[in-house]
Amino acid sequence: MELLIQLGFVALLLLVGLVFGRAAEQRHFRDLERREAEFANVLVFNERTPPQRPFREAALVVGSVVVAEDYFKRMAAALKSLVGGRLTAYESLMDRGRREAILRMKAEARARGARVVFNVRFETASLAEAGAGARPMFSAEFIAYGTALVE
Amino acid sequence: MVSYENPQVPHEVNVSRESVLAEFVRLATGLCLVVLAVAAVLYFCGGALARLVPYSTEQRWVGGRVLAPISEPADVADAARVRAYLQELADDLARHMALPAGMRPVVHWSDTDVPNAFATLGGHVVITRGLYARMPSENALAMVLAHELAHLRERDPISAVGGTASLALVLGLLGGDVEQLAPQVAQAVQLGYSRRAERRADDAAVEAIVARYGHAGGAAAVFEVLAGYAGPLRGATPTLLSTHPADDDRIARLKQAAQQWDPVRQPLRPVDEH
Amino acid sequence: MELSNLEVIPGRQVVRHLGLVQGSTVRSKHAGRDIMAGLKNIVGGELKGYTELLIEARQEAIERMVAQAQAVGANAVINVRFSTSNITSGAAEVMAYGTAVYAE
Repeated sequence: MELLIQLGFVALLLLVGLVFGRAAEQRHFRDLERREAEFANVLVFNERTPPQRPFREAALVVGSVVVAEDYFKRMAAALKSLVGGRLTAYESLMDRGRREAILRMKAEARARGARVVFNVRFETASLAEAGAGARPMFSAEFIAYGTALVE
Repeated sequence: MVSYENPQVPHEVNVSRESVLAEFVRLATGLCLVVLAVAAVLYFCGGALARLVPYSTEQRWVGGRVLAPISEPADVADAARVRAYLQELADDLARHMALPAGMRPVVHWSDTDVPNAFATLGGHVVITRGLYARMPSENALAMVLAHELAHLRERDPISAVGGTASLALVLGLLGGDVEQLAPQVAQAVQLGYSRRAERRADDAAVEAIVARYGHAGGAAAVFEVLAGYAGPLRGATPTLLSTHPADDDRIARLKQAAQQWDPVRQPLRPVDEH
Repeated sequence: MELSNLEVIPGRQVVRHLGLVQGSTVRSKHAGRDIMAGLKNIVGGELKGYTELLIEARQEAIERMVAQAQAVGANAVINVRFSTSNITSGAAEVMAYGTAVYAE
């Protein structure tokens, strides 16, 4: 009986994670597309040598975001880890985090009046929450940074 | 002239196309099947190993301790008489059943209204007052006793214990919650596994009552009575029935065995003629 | 598609800078490999299973990056960088990124 209650609890968490996590993810992807169109005129490159143009000012710009997995992604990934292969559940998470970080960096660049960012670098740090059972909840910080050049 | 531009990149290449949900359902189903299969193999191996334990060792380990919770009947004199009658019947059936040397099952009478009977470790057979009172004939009662004796002969109780123990051991090694999980997993496996054992016990019991009475008449009545009791009371199914989902099938088999029986020339014996 | 982690392509002239392209994947080995790796950790040395895992993942990350570069009409990716981050024990994300360019 207790086992059934536990199973029911897990199933409930899975359902909540699936429904709300998926809705939030789709909303985020739509939002990302809209803002990417909006910031399309802020150009990003990861080259270090900028074009020979008279730039007035260079400034470091950073965009960062912390994204967490939902319960469903967690269980789906744990299951997939048994057989190995691509963890699709996490791939979309990574994609979201990175695009969000770039957008925030672009927003900062635009706020400084720049239309181009050079030498863009990415950094990812996973923040595993300690003491949350055998497998801690996964969340990661995504950082994008570069040098914004103001003409 | 060098140009700088940012055409739109296809972001979707970084996310695999397969549906996470479909994959999850597929994997979860597969995992359940694997776990059940492994549990079944473990249960089977543990049971087979436990059967190898000599009967004398089983009795030395267990003795009468497993029967502690059985409630003693209120009417002690009457209970003693019924017990003696049941023991005599069991002894006679045991003679027809070729029990291994040294195995002398002891019959107990439990003061419970739920019709039930079971065989357990150490060569004990328990019959409840509820079952005893509902048996229409001695032939039916003998069928129940012989069925339980057959379980003892095949060492089914210790095999069930061995199976459960091996499951508990592996669950414990894997770090599972043994106390909670092992009995439930064992029960799930047992449901499928014990059907064969029940059928075997039924066949042996029919043979024994044919040897004693010359026919298998009245045997099917046992399950008709039990099924009639379990019908309206879902959840309180007697354990004699709970692991046996195919009642109709069993009744049909017993009726088949009793085809040669002539009710007029071979009347059923009433319970406890003394 | 030419890949390089230089800023330039020797002997050719970059005429169009097409911006950032990236490819990434998250992968794990099956549980058996994880257990073997756990045992191997006692004596140390190379974890062949995980080396393989990351090589495969990096390969896929590059393929995805190249797919993005092709989609924007590039014929080379310069200044390619890799980054690997661990997700959980036994699972890792591998990422490759660079600037897509068209060179003549």
